[in-house]
Amino acid sequence: MMYNNEHFEPVITPNVSKPGCETIDFYIKNEDGYKALEKALKMKPAEVVDEVKKSNLRGRGGAGFPTGMKWSFMPPNPVDGQGNPKPKYLVCNADEGEPGTFKDRLIFTKTPHRMIEGMIIGGHAIGSNKGFIYVRGEWFKECRLMQKAIDDAYAKGFLGKNILGSGFNFDLVIYKGAGAYICGEETALLNSLEGKRGEPRLKPPFPAQVGAYGMPSCVNNVETFAAVPYILHKGWEKYAKMGTERSGGTRMIGVSGHVHKPGVYELPMNLSINEIIEIAGGVKGGKLKAVIPGGASAPMLKASECTVLTDYDSLAKAGTMAGSGGIIVMNDTVCIPEATYTLLKFYEHESCGQCSQCREGSHWLARMFKRILDGGGTQDDLDYIAKICGNMAGQTICAFADAVTGPALSSVRKFRSEFEELILRGGLKGINREESVSHKMGGAHV
Amino acid sequence: MSNSSFEITMPKVDLNYTSAKTPVHSDPNPEAKPLPKVTIDGKAYEFKPGDTIMQVAERYNLHEDIPRYCYHPGMPIAGTCRMCTVEVEKAPKLMTSCSTPAGDGMVVHTRSEKVLKSRNGVMDFLLANHPLDCPVCDKAGECELQDYTFEYGPQESNFKEEKRVFKEATTKKLSDKVTLNMNRCVHCERCVRFTDDVTKTNDLVMLNRGWHKELAATDEKVGLTNDYQGCLTDFCPVGALTFNDFRFEKRVWFLDKKPSLCDGCSKGCNIEVHHDKEIVQRYMPIYNEKVNGHWMCDEGRLSYHTYADADRIVSPLVHDQASGRLASTNWETASQVVNAKVKSATKTLVVLGTDATTEEGMLVKGAFANRAEVKYHSGFGDNKALDHLLRQSDKTPNTNGLKAIGLSPLAPTDINGNDLVIVIRQGRARLPKVEGQDVILVGVYSREEIETLKTSNVRVHAVLPSLATIEKDGSFTNCDGHTQSFTAAVTHRGKSLAMPRILAALVGEKR
Repeated sequence: MMYNNEHFEPVITPNVSKPGCETIDFYIKNEDGYKALEKALKMKPAEVVDEVKKSNLRGRGGAGFPTGMKWSFMPPNPVDGQGNPKPKYLVCNADEGEPGTFKDRLIFTKTPHRMIEGMIIGGHAIGSNKGFIYVRGEWFKECRLMQKAIDDAYAKGFLGKNILGSGFNFDLVIYKGAGAYICGEETALLNSLEGKRGEPRLKPPFPAQVGAYGMPSCVNNVETFAAVPYILHKGWEKYAKMGTERSGGTRMIGVSGHVHKPGVYELPMNLSINEIIEIAGGVKGGKLKAVIPGGASAPMLKASECTVLTDYDSLAKAGTMAGSGGIIVMNDTVCIPEATYTLLKFYEHESCGQCSQCREGSHWLARMFKRILDGGGTQDDLDYIAKICGNMAGQTICAFADAVTGPALSSVRKFRSEFEELILRGGLKGINREESVSHKMGGAHV
Repeated sequence: MSNSSFEITMPKVDLNYTSAKTPVHSDPNPEAKPLPKVTIDGKAYEFKPGDTIMQVAERYNLHEDIPRYCYHPGMPIAGTCRMCTVEVEKAPKLMTSCSTPAGDGMVVHTRSEKVLKSRNGVMDFLLANHPLDCPVCDKAGECELQDYTFEYGPQESNFKEEKRVFKEATTKKLSDKVTLNMNRCVHCERCVRFTDDVTKTNDLVMLNRGWHKELAATDEKVGLTNDYQGCLTDFCPVGALTFNDFRFEKRVWFLDKKPSLCDGCSKGCNIEVHHDKEIVQRYMPIYNEKVNGHWMCDEGRLSYHTYADADRIVSPLVHDQASGRLASTNWETASQVVNAKVKSATKTLVVLGTDATTEEGMLVKGAFANRAEVKYHSGFGDNKALDHLLRQSDKTPNTNGLKAIGLSPLAPTDINGNDLVIVIRQGRARLPKVEGQDVILVGVYSREEIETLKTSNVRVHAVLPSLATIEKDGSFTNCDGHTQSFTAAVTHRGKSLAMPRILAALVGEKR
């Protein structure tokens, strides 16, 4: 069998290459659409949660938290101070802003109904009647397609009042963000959803207690929801078997950078990074030098480390993370300090500016890398980068500071000789390298 | 959207803007459930369930051990400066003490190596872009950035980059009272939360994000509009927000600080009078849970100008028949003149302004017991609150106190039929309307007021200056019925006398 895994079959993307796959008719006719919903509505909510728990589905947004467990944290009958029942909200995190990640967009444009069905099942499971889809601000077309899909689902009676005669009501609303990376963090997303500044909240209280508009809320990734119909329809055993012991199912991997066939691949988890690069057509234009395995905030891996498997636990053991499944491949023409600077500039721009360490540290690191590239660096700087990263990591409200230190620290640790050479020779000019266009463009901050 | 309308209600959160700073003790009854205990730096402290670690520390006066920027006891918790982190045993990471609820049996270390390293890191970051212009900064000397740098900060910085400069916000007037220097800001956002949650005027916002996050007035054309702008400059931990009235007036280490009461309205906010060599430089609020919390209004804050006014009359004045003017004289002459006047008057009315202390009220009542009628007068009518915080419509401090000692208010017709009216008033109460009678003024007056009276043909016979609130001892009863006593904060440098001696002069008794 393909990919050395006899249980594997595409969960989300079996038909994404076929014309018309985004329509509701295609989904119902060819993909057993909304069958899982029918089945789920006949089950008790706790049974649905149990099913998802047993499937070992883990959150696909980056942190990899078990979805069934997250759902079970939702209070069954929340009441406010006066004893009136409080509504619960289900939120879909479609703020896919991680550099190198583009899997959710494929789901939005090619198989939106799978996600909608997943959300309705989720709403049934946690007892919520209202769902929000928080969409990244830049996704204009995707937003229109999703709205069309929601309208179609309403027309067919999968959304709205008394879905499929079960007495269960569920409404879905699209909310567009304003284009901030940090709003992909679940509490910042909730703030943004409420119309506030997109700044992460202090935890506790967790969203399961105090979420959107102060009500218990559950936030899940697009891909997580899209996997739910399969679990309900085909059974959790089948889904769990595809994955590893502690995380079931498949993963959508977006491969980009120096490969021949960049794109989104739905793959089992027992593949190594090298194998994934092979599937994506192999390294283009030179030898493999470094890989960022899980979106820009995951620490880099050297070419020699790329035998590591891509499931959550193996990557964590290798000192990096599975993140959001965006693999960025770099060949040996890439100047690592320069590539890291590009990432740091992104982080400098996207830090929300709440916590001291992150606000000042991300700025400081980016300026420091820039100075090294311009030829003003010293060997001490490299030690000081490690010190700054040490002061940042794990000290802030959200994981953004850790995300900044991921590429910065790993690049200096793993490619220190390159930095040293750059410092010795006086920056990019010294190694006969033109400053790449992207730096000049981003020079003046908005 | 095709779906049904959403009904979304925000949960109402009542802000407790006065947080307790007093220790709590378990019920001595052995059957009662004892209060939980948290161990801070090796010593166990009882706390009320729901307190955060910071609040427990505040209760037991350990606040010196936990540095903070964003935390302020009168505002909601932000947890963003990361300065107040402490080590909690069994917790994987350092915890922010401001936001972590204390638990029974929790063991907290506020000065472990890990904590100090973290605080050092935060200081390193905050100082990186700070201009370090302490020599010209008004906050120097009472700056939390300075203090914590001294205590926790790195000796030197490796920040070799150019510092961040907000060109348009280096000296920006947010209103006629407050000036912003954004370069010094440490982004604690106390000011934003204050206008959002305490004054509820939403005057300030943070623009942009990340390292070019910038404080600005919500409407640049209007600027700050709330009545508590001075508080912004009190709790700003650095010199980013400074109060124009005090800006460049005095270095803070020259100031002597004495507690007193604000007499600007019937609330009686607790203040600290900051003076240098008896010259008052500013008022600052001090915490009183029952009266003003942490705040005071700008009107009260600026009210010291009445007493520090160059035109305040600080020498007795007597009407000179020959020139027809009020002339400065000594107390002997003034005493003789007023005493004769009081004795020769057939019917005398004493109008006591409600800015007198309760003790003064009793003295006046006693001194004139058989000689004249004593009525109190504020000139502001019945008191009502002007906003949800502190400001009151009665701009005098002691109406309730004088009412309590049995005085009755001045009715409009009371003045008629008297040939002498003695007005006792300390600069806050309005002057009663007097027509055709001789008047002796006692208390705190400005030259302008006397001149206005003269132009309106009031026959001012003499002016006897007395001490202002901050210059004397006494007690006030505020609008909520709290009686607060105070002692002199500054020594009067003019010729004004305390009330007993003035009364003695008036009624001709040795007191």
